[in-house]
Amino acid sequence: MNKSTILAVAAIALIGGFALSWHAHVNRAIELESGVWFGEQARALPEFQLVEHNGSKLTRESLQGKWSLMFFGYTHCPDICPISLQTLADMVRAIDDPHVADALKVYFVSVDPARDQPQVLADYVTYFNPDFIGATAPLEQLTPLTRSLGIAHALRNQTEGSEQYDVDHSAAIVLINPRAEYAGLFGAPQDAAKMARDMTRIIERNPL
Amino acid sequence: MNPRLILPLLLLTLLFPASAFAELDVSDARIKHLPPTVPVRAGYMTLRNPGAQAVTIVAVQSDAFASVEIHRSYMQDGMMRMDPVDSLTIEPGETLQLAPGGLHLMMMQPAEATRPGDSIEIVLEFDDGTEQRLTLEVVK
Repeated sequence: MNKSTILAVAAIALIGGFALSWHAHVNRAIELESGVWFGEQARALPEFQLVEHNGSKLTRESLQGKWSLMFFGYTHCPDICPISLQTLADMVRAIDDPHVADALKVYFVSVDPARDQPQVLADYVTYFNPDFIGATAPLEQLTPLTRSLGIAHALRNQTEGSEQYDVDHSAAIVLINPRAEYAGLFGAPQDAAKMARDMTRIIERNPL
Repeated sequence: MNPRLILPLLLLTLLFPASAFAELDVSDARIKHLPPTVPVRAGYMTLRNPGAQAVTIVAVQSDAFASVEIHRSYMQDGMMRMDPVDSLTIEPGETLQLAPGGLHLMMMQPAEATRPGDSIEIVLEFDDGTEQRLTLEVVK
């Protein structure tokens, strides 16, 4: 084996080692108070493309580099969805460490793209927290993402000729790590204080 | 009837419109505020039936909304669901809560933008044809 081959192998091993250690780093074992942490079982998201309420694209790549919490709902849901969004807003306010808060983004993904136009989504999510991001996409683009996250959604109580219907949807809040992997979830009903402590623990132990 | 009685009787009916025969004690009646473009609001309240008869609400109306329905949110198999409810019966002495995460008024398409602190009048319609007016406060 010549010298340059040895160097190349060493370099690859070094890079691979870093990659592995970082991979372990974002997924190290953590005990959560209020959620489920997948640890090493974190799963890469498929490619997807949604549109954020300000018009920019939301893709797997754009989730990289931050921790993301994603809640699925729709604006014609006046009872449960505001409760969950209020819980998320309270959670963000309960995080003391500004580095933790900076490392975290909150998304409200509408599973009712037919009715949830960008302006409605924008007004709805930013009412709870000006940094929250609303996003949606036609169902054929939305479903690959929701399916990969185990989030179900289906129209119900639909009557012909009426705009009125309900959308059943999973109540869980999904956690995505800075590598855009599905890393955990918080089942309903969520508790803002516990989630804030959990997110602090996760992000402090896995700095960006 | 003695014609001289008609005027006093008419005045009496003015003094006691339908709302004077209110059948439910209402407390904590409120609407969760949302931005004006958001088309739906939830209304909550506590209803107590102080009477000796069961009271059944069959419809809710408000001039401030295109329509108002009674809905119930619930969780089933990890799914959040919501269904319309045809009527609500409150037995004598019973209290019924319309509260976040359960029964609520689904108030659709506000006629005007509402703000926290606003008072919104609604009418509960009962199965015996009577009705009760009450006021909900818009809360943050």
